[in-house]
Amino acid sequence: MEHTKHIWRAAILLIVVLTGVVAVRHFMVPSSFGEMGYYRGDALYEFMDKAPEHGSQAACAECHDDIAGEKAAGAHAQVQCEVCHGTLTSHIRDDDKFADMAIDRSWRLCAHCHRRLVARPEGMPQIDPAEHLELAPGEAIPEEACLDCHDTIHNP
Amino acid sequence: MSKQKPDAGMKRRDFLKTATQGAAGMALVMIWGDLSLVSASTVTVATSGREGYAYDPTKHRFIYLIDVAKCIGCGSCVRACERENQVPRHFFRTWIERYQISRTGRTWIDSPDGARNGFEPTVLGADITKAFFVPKLCNHCTNTPCVQLCPVGASFISPDGVVLVDEKRCIGCSYCVQACPYGSRFIHPDTHTASKCTLCYHRVTKGLDTACVQNCPTEARKLGDVKVLGDEVAEIIATKEVHVLKPELHTEPNCYYSGLSREVR
Repeated sequence: MEHTKHIWRAAILLIVVLTGVVAVRHFMVPSSFGEMGYYRGDALYEFMDKAPEHGSQAACAECHDDIAGEKAAGAHAQVQCEVCHGTLTSHIRDDDKFADMAIDRSWRLCAHCHRRLVARPEGMPQIDPAEHLELAPGEAIPEEACLDCHDTIHNP
Repeated sequence: MSKQKPDAGMKRRDFLKTATQGAAGMALVMIWGDLSLVSASTVTVATSGREGYAYDPTKHRFIYLIDVAKCIGCGSCVRACERENQVPRHFFRTWIERYQISRTGRTWIDSPDGARNGFEPTVLGADITKAFFVPKLCNHCTNTPCVQLCPVGASFISPDGVVLVDEKRCIGCSYCVQACPYGSRFIHPDTHTASKCTLCYHRVTKGLDTACVQNCPTEARKLGDVKVLGDEVAEIIATKEVHVLKPELHTEPNCYYSGLSREVR
């Protein structure tokens, strides 16, 4: 065939461009990409390596076994300590206490679960605070109203 | 008589031409010959986890079960998730919706601040005959709308069925936020990347429960693993009546509900 130079030029240009693309991808695509699927494999392991914030009731019982024992015998046995007191990591760092646990004595904490709501299942113990405390209409609910009577809250 | 200049120019040009062609040819051979570069675009379907890790993602497949009848709407799960994952205020990786339905079928749905502080009684001026709480979270769908349209491959499904977002690759375009029919995703106000429930991947890969499951006081939420023999949740899903949210969208959620009424969206 005559006049083949233009085909060669096009072919060489194409090869050079493709080579450029491959070379650029070599530097831009992270090395773990494709390891587990169409994503950066390191990302999956970065998620795995994070440290948990919550412990468990067993972790609390390691130091607070008296409270744990009291709690396990009562109606709040299934309620995690951390639900009311916050995460383990807000209290313990490197196996050592660095701050006190939050102790919320407000009636609002109890109300999260125990305030009467139409949508709550019947079997759940629930009260209307104004009725339960026999408050006058418009009277405010005292801040630590629940603990005034229910003082052994770990084993109510 | 003019002296004939020696053919130095032509020789040099020839030499350079040959040298460049040779160098270019060698570079081509090196680049294309290194098949790992060319095959960087081939993606393996993982058949085992990375070495050195006790947890192998290919040996697990997580599922989630919510029992609507047991949920008391306390919001412990929302608070636990917020603490566990540093979820920014007014954004939610999980939340609870309250449905109050009158005899005529009129429905009131609310979720005050995601039920982070529980609910308060409402006066609705109608006789409520049916009311319940529906906790919601990312459904970790098998047929996700959100993963397939991520333009940069930041959103992915792990081999154990957890839908995750690679924060380092996410460009914050929020296509996935729009795509999710359940409203599970949001753009994190600080990192400006997509964020959502990760099924506490850092916990479940260590054999722990997710923060929401662990902190639920009534066991309304349960985590399961279909690849574990005798798994309680897998057994319930296989033998009892369960529902999913928006089944008509065929997203194949892995989050199942028992006791889901027709009013739930």
